[in-house]
Amino acid sequence: MTVELAEIARYMRMGRALPEGPLAARVLELRAEGLAAVRPARVWRRFDTAGGTIGADDLQIKIQGKLARHLECCGAAYLVCGTIGPQFDALLRRVSVNSAADALIVQAIGAALIEKYMDSTEDEIRRELAPGESLVQRYSPGYGDFPLAAQRELLALLDAPRTAGVSLTDTLLMVPSKSVSAVIGVKKGEEPK
Amino acid sequence: MKNIFQDCSRIFMLDGAMGTQLQARGLKPGEIPELWNVRRPSDIRAVHEAYFAAGADAVYANTFGANGAKYHGDVPLEDIIAAGIDIAREAAHGKDVFVALDVGPTGRLLKPSGDFEFDAAYDAFAAQIRAGAAAGADFIAIETMGDTYELKAAVLAAKENSDLPVLATVALGDDGKLLTGADAECTAALLEGLRVDALGLNCGFGPDKMLEHVKRLARATTLPIAVKPNAGMPKIVDGRTVFTVSPEDFARDVAALVEAGASIAGGCCGTTPAHIAAVGERLRGVRPRPRTTGAAGRRSLVTSGCRAVEIPLNDTIIIGERINPTGKKKLKAALSEGDVAYVLREALAQVDAGAHILDVNTGVPGIDEPAVLDATIQAVQSVTDLPLQIDTSDPKALERALRHYNGKALINSVNGKEESMGTVLPIVAKYGGVTVALTLDESGIPPTAEGRLAIAKKILARGAEYGMTPDDFVIDVLSLAVSADSGSANTILSALELVRNELGCRTCLGVSNISFGLPARAQLNAAFYTMALARGLSAGIINPLSFEMMTAYRAYRALAAKDTACGEWIEACKDAPVKIEYRTAKNADMQEAGKAQPAESALSTSIRRGLKADAAAYAKESIANGTAPLEVIDREIVPALETVGKGFETGTMFLPQLLMAAEAAGAAFDAVRAALPQQDSAPAKGPVVIATVQGDIHDIGKNICRALLENYGFKTIDLGRDVPPETVLAAAKKANARLVGLSALMTTTVGAMEQTIKLLHSEMPDCKVTVGGAVLTADYAAKIGADNYSKDAMGLIRYAESIFGQ
Repeated sequence: MTVELAEIARYMRMGRALPEGPLAARVLELRAEGLAAVRPARVWRRFDTAGGTIGADDLQIKIQGKLARHLECCGAAYLVCGTIGPQFDALLRRVSVNSAADALIVQAIGAALIEKYMDSTEDEIRRELAPGESLVQRYSPGYGDFPLAAQRELLALLDAPRTAGVSLTDTLLMVPSKSVSAVIGVKKGEEPK
Repeated sequence: MKNIFQDCSRIFMLDGAMGTQLQARGLKPGEIPELWNVRRPSDIRAVHEAYFAAGADAVYANTFGANGAKYHGDVPLEDIIAAGIDIAREAAHGKDVFVALDVGPTGRLLKPSGDFEFDAAYDAFAAQIRAGAAAGADFIAIETMGDTYELKAAVLAAKENSDLPVLATVALGDDGKLLTGADAECTAALLEGLRVDALGLNCGFGPDKMLEHVKRLARATTLPIAVKPNAGMPKIVDGRTVFTVSPEDFARDVAALVEAGASIAGGCCGTTPAHIAAVGERLRGVRPRPRTTGAAGRRSLVTSGCRAVEIPLNDTIIIGERINPTGKKKLKAALSEGDVAYVLREALAQVDAGAHILDVNTGVPGIDEPAVLDATIQAVQSVTDLPLQIDTSDPKALERALRHYNGKALINSVNGKEESMGTVLPIVAKYGGVTVALTLDESGIPPTAEGRLAIAKKILARGAEYGMTPDDFVIDVLSLAVSADSGSANTILSALELVRNELGCRTCLGVSNISFGLPARAQLNAAFYTMALARGLSAGIINPLSFEMMTAYRAYRALAAKDTACGEWIEACKDAPVKIEYRTAKNADMQEAGKAQPAESALSTSIRRGLKADAAAYAKESIANGTAPLEVIDREIVPALETVGKGFETGTMFLPQLLMAAEAAGAAFDAVRAALPQQDSAPAKGPVVIATVQGDIHDIGKNICRALLENYGFKTIDLGRDVPPETVLAAAKKANARLVGLSALMTTTVGAMEQTIKLLHSEMPDCKVTVGGAVLTADYAAKIGADNYSKDAMGLIRYAESIFGQ
């Protein structure tokens, strides 16, 4: 797994501009360190959404509000969670001691890496789909009116602490920090290009 | 209690999976499996019975997740655990077999990557273990651990809350490491130190992939090794997770693990009673491979959470001495004021210079040493994976630090005094560790090498009473100033050799004491260090930032055939010429830049381009060439910074470039400040107190603000992340701050921000509060009562300038 300079630049809020000179050199150095600290892990699981919930009984995510609109026409949905691991956070802590610039760069590298990893996870999930099925966009707790508190159920339904090494803090932050969780709807028909 | 795992005549058989068996019986995703102990006890009993029938000597009760941090069922935890043990006992039907309390992870990530405290994890495990012991478990099976720190909490809880034998197994990933980075060797060192009864591997992967790691474990430990592999890797078939290794293949591969040294065998995810029966069949009559101490027993390892370092008998390593306040004014002040950043920079400088272990000593008169040492060690461990030497003479500080240390530490020190041996050795025996033994006792430091050898022997003998071997000690024969006793160096060198040859023991030495009271200490120290190395010194406690000492270290290793093909020596020497070439290349670059902008000086260019080292060098050069220091600041540094700031505001430069430039300017400032007499230095503006609010652990934005504030000349007090409102108020009051900056990243933590603002406004009405963070907007900031909202770090600088003046 690696990421291009241009992707890292986007997460450094450089828009379409590319790092050059000393900044580019530093990004490449830190990218090598970042890649060495990555330990990816992911888990996903398919759920039936016909009952208006994902999961059941004392452990369920209610499909309502904007999530319901997002999952319109979807008969099933995947819960997914992935991370690039806690050692990347250790790298981030280490570089933060001496340089906020380095921290910013490593942070961007991490963001680009987890994004790319989740894209590849979606590709993996697509391979499981039945003929004629496609995925809608990832939708995460905290988007729109989908409460962040749903992280609890989402991660529990995936047994994410054990299966992916991702857990929650008391304030509902995912740790390791470079982790993503989401609901991905499954619908009949082609994905919009 | 005798070690039930150490029967040499046969393989001790464990059960297979519980979780996947329950899923097959209808356990739903997310359902709490332990609740089945009361809701569907007959299903649980049936699983246990099947494993006993398949030949298991022991089953794990259905208590894997029954700890207070993870379990949130409506039946009391103690009842769940008692029911779990009872059901397993019933399933034995009176046979002479064992029931284990199964202890899995808390499902929380411990600090520093997560927010869960070590002590909270310990408490959760302790409650589980007390309940399990009370219910009559025969041993404690800690399993599937992915973090050495959590593993340590669980083992300590088991040891302190029961007398039961402890079997601890960890889950490795595809890279052969735990989630947090430790490999088999590192884990074994920790667990041996904590004195578990057996250790091993479970889950993670199938038995075939486990083989190489079991081989490594067998070399690293003499304890019985347990294996509980999965039935292969999970595959998705028709939307369901399945494990595909057949009982026969599983048994064949487990037999290979036994041949590699395992003597306790069972299965994890996907295994069934058929798998266990097949293993039992295959291993009938097989005796465990005899485990000799061999080379493994002759090693002396210290570890961090993810790295093991060997203290060698036939080579040498460096213990960095710089985190020790003796004679260091700045460090003393940093420790007294709680300036952790300073300590962390000292730590990382030594890591970069090539230290293998870092000494941590916080013995400043008048401070709460147990608290400060504990906090300092946790902070240092959060930024480096080098093992640490816990250096204190206060037993309370030692125990607290050792308890919270992630890994197996080096302890400095015990000595030959009865009181020291009687207090230090029991503490180390409990937590594990390698101990530095000082060769002094009630009558002082013996003047002869033989006298020091005798004390070393005495300490080793006392250690043996606590189950320690010579490999658990490093002998410090103590260097004394040669200026006071001209024979002292010779005595030390003879003692080094004696200890090594007579006791087969490793040695260490605080090298620099030798030159006390003499001029040119660095050169003298390096010469003595070389002599000590030649006489077999295992670990020098030295300053790794000293060019002389590192040259002596590298030269010795090259000359003594420890540095293959002199590779490290050549590598280290490369540095100097490379720097010169680099500098030349930069000059060419600079000349080019100069053509385009004839007015810009080399210093301004290096600041603008974010070249820290160059900026510092050019600032020094300007001053050396006669430019007044304040003029360098006013005419070069400040304008260059202003150009960069404007570039950022107009969108021609981006945040990483702004930060790199600010840090280069900071390096130039430091060079100028060094040239200024103390009282002349431009007064800093501020202070500004900054913090990431309580509950929020994302501090990158706050750190960016700190870097810019400091490099724009504002005195900044950074309280870190996850800071309670009261702490912010106390710090702001103490500093008499007129500006406090708060950051929050999540909607869930904006509440804490609002509380902090309210508290500050009610207690310090003249203090302004500015806020920033991903979820905030100007409107939102106004709504929660902030005086100002900064959309980025530059905005904060402008606001600070409006309050304190440019």
